[in-house]
Amino acid sequence: MPNKKIWYFIFTMPLFLIFCIVVLVPFLIGIYYSFVNWDGISSNPKVFVGFDNYTALLQDKRFLASAWNTIKFTLFALFSVNLLGLVFALIVTSGFKTSNLVRTLLFMPNLIGGLILGYIWRFIFTDGFKQIGEITGGDSIFFNWLIDPNFALIALVVVFTWQMAGYTMVIYIAGIQGISEEVMEAAKVDGANIWHRMTKIVFPLLMPSFTICLFLTLSGAFKIYDVNLSLTNGGPIHHTELFAMNVFNEIFGYGNYGLGQAKAILFFVIIALVTITQVVITKRREVQM
Amino acid sequence: MNNAKNGIISLLIVMISLLFLSPIYIMIVNSFKTRAELYENVLSLPGSFSFEYYTAAIKKMNFFVALGNSLYVTTATVIFVIVLASMMAWMLVRRDNVWSKIIFFLFVATMLIPFQTLMMPLMQVMDWIRTYLHLPMLNTHGGLIFMNIGFHAGIAVFLYHGFIKSIPVALEEAAVLDGCNTFGVFWRIIFPLLKSISVTVAILDVIASWNDYLLPSLVLSEKGLRTIQLSTFYFFGEFTIVWNQAMAGLTLTIVPIIIFYSIAQKYIIKGIAAGAVK
Amino acid sequence: MKNRWFLALLTAVLFIISACGNNTGSNSNEGTNNGGTKAKQLAKISLFQSKVEIAESLENLASKYKQETGNEVEVWGSAGDSYITQLQTKLAANEGPTIFSVQQGIEAEKFASYFYDMTNEPYAKYIVPNMALEIEGKVVGVPIGIEGFGLVYNKDLYDPSTVTDTASFVKALEKFKADGINGLSLSQTAYFLIGHIINTPFAMQADPIAFIKQVNKGEVDLKEVPEFRDFAKVMEAIRAYTVNPVEVTYDKQMGDLAMGKTAIVHQGNWSYSMLADYGDLNIGMAPLPIAGNDKLEVGIPSGWVINKQASPEKIAAANAFFEWLYTSETGKNAILKDFGFIPAVTTIEPTGLDPLSQEVYDATQSGKTLPRALNYFPQGIIINDLAPLASEFFLNPSMTPDQFLDKLRDVWAKAAK
Repeated sequence: MPNKKIWYFIFTMPLFLIFCIVVLVPFLIGIYYSFVNWDGISSNPKVFVGFDNYTALLQDKRFLASAWNTIKFTLFALFSVNLLGLVFALIVTSGFKTSNLVRTLLFMPNLIGGLILGYIWRFIFTDGFKQIGEITGGDSIFFNWLIDPNFALIALVVVFTWQMAGYTMVIYIAGIQGISEEVMEAAKVDGANIWHRMTKIVFPLLMPSFTICLFLTLSGAFKIYDVNLSLTNGGPIHHTELFAMNVFNEIFGYGNYGLGQAKAILFFVIIALVTITQVVITKRREVQM
Repeated sequence: MNNAKNGIISLLIVMISLLFLSPIYIMIVNSFKTRAELYENVLSLPGSFSFEYYTAAIKKMNFFVALGNSLYVTTATVIFVIVLASMMAWMLVRRDNVWSKIIFFLFVATMLIPFQTLMMPLMQVMDWIRTYLHLPMLNTHGGLIFMNIGFHAGIAVFLYHGFIKSIPVALEEAAVLDGCNTFGVFWRIIFPLLKSISVTVAILDVIASWNDYLLPSLVLSEKGLRTIQLSTFYFFGEFTIVWNQAMAGLTLTIVPIIIFYSIAQKYIIKGIAAGAVK
Repeated sequence: MKNRWFLALLTAVLFIISACGNNTGSNSNEGTNNGGTKAKQLAKISLFQSKVEIAESLENLASKYKQETGNEVEVWGSAGDSYITQLQTKLAANEGPTIFSVQQGIEAEKFASYFYDMTNEPYAKYIVPNMALEIEGKVVGVPIGIEGFGLVYNKDLYDPSTVTDTASFVKALEKFKADGINGLSLSQTAYFLIGHIINTPFAMQADPIAFIKQVNKGEVDLKEVPEFRDFAKVMEAIRAYTVNPVEVTYDKQMGDLAMGKTAIVHQGNWSYSMLADYGDLNIGMAPLPIAGNDKLEVGIPSGWVINKQASPEKIAAANAFFEWLYTSETGKNAILKDFGFIPAVTTIEPTGLDPLSQEVYDATQSGKTLPRALNYFPQGIIINDLAPLASEFFLNPSMTPDQFLDKLRDVWAKAAK
């Protein structure tokens, strides 16, 4: 049926075309750049070096460490963002008086762009925590997290969670409100307690929301740069230098454009495999209507 | 009695949410402080509430021009993304062939690419388009909107894709029998059903394009074209930040978007209610 | 019929793009029209520079320039730390500015293929000797201001005439600690933590650039170089006797100095703008006295260059702008008063400088200056390698000065590859 094909074309082509020009073609050019030695200045020469950049990055201990930090960060963030986002969503949809106000309040952190967010939180970790520590005497917890190698990464998780929880909340709300009242009422009449209603009805029906939120958190966490830059700038001593920052430093800091691109491509392939697996797994568990 | 209990719980939740907002408190109080006051104590209330830093920030940022630019870019981006992404997602769900799978995979996978690695080739592609197709992609709002659509398409298609799956095909089949063409089916039957997810997409996309700094900073050079985020650069030196004006500028920047969100979230609820009637 | 919607949509897309196309189209029309009516009108040029602090004054200057001459300069802006990235990307897209700023040294060498040779332009003659941005003997960039750094100190607490070498400086820090005053404060930003202070031992070498090249190859045992041994001793004293610099922000560093909690900070004349907010202060600038050093580090942080790839009309307009900047009253006033710079050209008489700038200027007059060797460090090394190393040293009390210098050598050679 040629007619069907034309419709398919009309519906998908405009966006696909834009997408190709803006994302796909630059990405392919980027792959090409990962095989050259170049300082990133367009009038300076590009020398084709084959897989040299890829073999070089496997010996880059700092890059491997930053990849490992990124994975740790992402796992923590995945858990905390979605737990908090879901809890928020359940609270604000439970129908108490101030839910509209609360919903706006909880969403507000998301409205502040990444860079400034990091600067503000730096005040909290340096000045705020110090004052709380002095007042409560709990200075084993309330000290400047940003100069402790382990706590600095947790500080990043905290800030990222603070920002993203409201974001995932919006998506969970959309999911929760899509669950029909009748089903919930029927379950109540049948005597199901709140735990059963959650695990047997709400969570399975929320699977599409989980798929989306997990993926968004994952991609957001893997790509995090702004907050990383303004909150810790990779410190102390590279302990919080996450992947995007490492690539950025390689490209624009050291001026090794090709090597930086190679890092980006390699890491992208790995993340893509992980996340696509995640999407396939959670998609399978979605309940068809 | 029950009402009172409900009231107390509501109050408690509001207070917890306010604690959640403490960084925003820091932002607002410091928009009123001098450098010396900020040095004394970041957390304390300001000595006086004069709006001088707000007026200074408005003047420096050329606030109202920048606001207009941001509104234009954001609105256009969001409308295009909603229209184009919903159409595409619907087709991808309903014609589940190899192409659909490949396209969907590409859209989702590329969301994982850090923008920093795309920006140099992207600007080169835009330069080629300008040179050979004579379309002014650089230093124009149109070019920025075009690129925004490309970058924001992935998440929108992803969201619609998940949602459309839960809409019964039977509805469309009935419409086709009634003699609707494909376009009619989509716009008259499907799109209205997508209202709540469309509002969600709109919210997320408005934030993304409103807060974006890096892409606009590369595309727009001229002062008159600057978006609101770009205009805040005056406060951020390499080593120094003019805290009071920066915080004031920032507060001004997020006000429009809070208003938008408060209005939009009502539509999510209405949209759901309308959908439930079906 | 079926395609009507699609056509509508397509038209809408094209409309958006072309609407904006018209915008720029009409702008450039304006330009040519103006050019037609006023014969002497020069091409409109763009100027992109990294000092956010002068951005607003520069815009004001551009509008005065337009009033006085009818020519236009469009001032672009970017947040300080994203300047180079933006510049590089815009140049790659052939969307580069007509005039832009680059740091002397490694950064300038990287962008050298874009520089217009201004050796024979009249304004190149105004530049104070040794202050032009030069590559291979050609003047390629003009300095907008001179900057210097060293020990910025509270005159009530510290007397530099009594402290002239490493041993007495270390002792002074020890005494400050006993008195409950923070002797010397660095701050956490890479340049303020180590980038500037490490300049001294490099700049004190007979030929700093040749010396850096040797260090790049890992050939120098820094433990054997007296200036570096003394430098490491001072770093150790900072660790032992002062507040950990890793915890100090630039705002706090200057605030503590202004409030008398800190006696000395390692900073430049630019930091006066931070102090001015605290009212009148009794401050001065002195050399960092390691290995008997009695000089301030002075140089031009960056030069303004003309983009060779711009059209000849634009290059001519850029030349005219520089000439105006250095010779007209408005231009000279702007550099001295609005930007607050120490002028690096002979056409401007430096009057009314702030106290720190005055000390830097005096040093240039007496010749007691050290060069900015740090501009010749390998690209990105201060932020990516030296700052992490310095934090490690400050956070780990068991690291000895010798270990610090060994590690410095290794990290340096690795980064230089």
